[in-house]
Amino acid sequence: MKKENTKLTAVNGVFDISLELNGVKKTFAVGNTEFLLDALRRYGYKGAKKGCDTGDCGSCAVIFNGKPALACLIPAFTAHGAAVTTIEGIGTVQAPHALQEAFVEAGAVQCGFCIPGMIVSSKHLLDIIPEPSEEEIKKYLDGNLCRCTGYVKQIAAVKAAAERLKARKAEG
Amino acid sequence: MKNIKYFSFPGTPKAALSALLDRKSEAMAVAGGTLAAKTLPETVENFVGLKNLPLNYIKKRGADLVIGALATFDEIDNSKLAKSWAGGAVSAAAARCSSQLIRNMATIGGNIARPHSFNIFPVVLLGLDARVRLLAGPGVKTVPFADLYGADLKLKPGRDCLILEIIIPGKTRNWSCRFEKFAKTEASWEAYLTLFMAASAKAGTVKEARVAVGALSPKPFRAQAAEHAVSGEKPGAAVIKAAALELGRELDAARAGDFKKAAAASLFERFMHDFARKLRPGGVKK
Repeated sequence: MKKENTKLTAVNGVFDISLELNGVKKTFAVGNTEFLLDALRRYGYKGAKKGCDTGDCGSCAVIFNGKPALACLIPAFTAHGAAVTTIEGIGTVQAPHALQEAFVEAGAVQCGFCIPGMIVSSKHLLDIIPEPSEEEIKKYLDGNLCRCTGYVKQIAAVKAAAERLKARKAEG
Repeated sequence: MKNIKYFSFPGTPKAALSALLDRKSEAMAVAGGTLAAKTLPETVENFVGLKNLPLNYIKKRGADLVIGALATFDEIDNSKLAKSWAGGAVSAAAARCSSQLIRNMATIGGNIARPHSFNIFPVVLLGLDARVRLLAGPGVKTVPFADLYGADLKLKPGRDCLILEIIIPGKTRNWSCRFEKFAKTEASWEAYLTLFMAASAKAGTVKEARVAVGALSPKPFRAQAAEHAVSGEKPGAAVIKAAALELGRELDAARAGDFKKAAAASLFERFMHDFARKLRPGGVKK
């Protein structure tokens, strides 16, 4: 969506914004104090989680204009014209992404609260580095905190997903 | 943000400045927004988003390294040119700022726009003698980074002027440099101490040295007594020790506390010994 020289005016503190959410054009009415995470959840996209609300835990991560970003730090009105992908746009229960399958199979999910953010960060990593090293996985997941596990299983899951995606690509 | 009435994404720096200088409403420019969005003054009515400005380049201009104000930490971390400069210290500093999710959003311009103890780039840019190009009402102005937070500038980036780019002088390209950050964890934004050290050599002696200290006060400072103690000298053990003592005194004056003082002195000594090793015939290059 073209957004150069965009200017919006709030009416009674509410902005009407348009964005591409999980590949579908949407229109949201968002408050001038509202952050993207709250707006997404209010509109039913509850995959992104509200953890710290200060940009420290990564539970709210979404892909924002091509890169994982913290939805709790993005004023909702600035998403006007943006392309946003939430966990709902990566895979579903019926058609899970290889990462989601691998996280379940590796036992990388305990309480599950941090997992949407982990999957979002991992998805971007595998998009740009299809066969990441352990160091690269650690670096790209360093903003996703997990209070249940020791991170070992998540690293294994990302490696397994990379293998799976490579095999699927080879199969065509 | 409760008083935000207008929001714009100008397409050019000139349009962004015009939005900032529009006296009908109080405006503030926001780049990556990792800090600004949560700390926006309540009086701001006009939110000027800078993301559409074509200022995310990292390139060579003449002998200098030029980084557009909207280059993100991630872009600087992954830039081959930035990695090749000053021993990779600029990229290393970008890589050690907070988490990947923040590095994807935060920009170098936003990081230096306001003084803050925990900002990473000010300490590096101070040590590299960087200059900053600003767009203000009267036009484009280039100022030493060291003057950016000074009262004499009479400009506030993001309020009445825009940071366009950061210029790192060509003389620093082959300097030996090191950036160090002490924090609770690698991903902690709140550092206890940040340190940038640099040295260049001429005929076996230290030609120029820089020691910049951050995280102790909103504005980083140069430890000039330590720099003077090694400049023009052969970096032998006694010279390095004496310079480290000077650094300790400067940290005492900044009320750094004993452990930060000891850490800074130790890191400085380690850096200088590595630098000295490289100067010896057949010295190990790191």
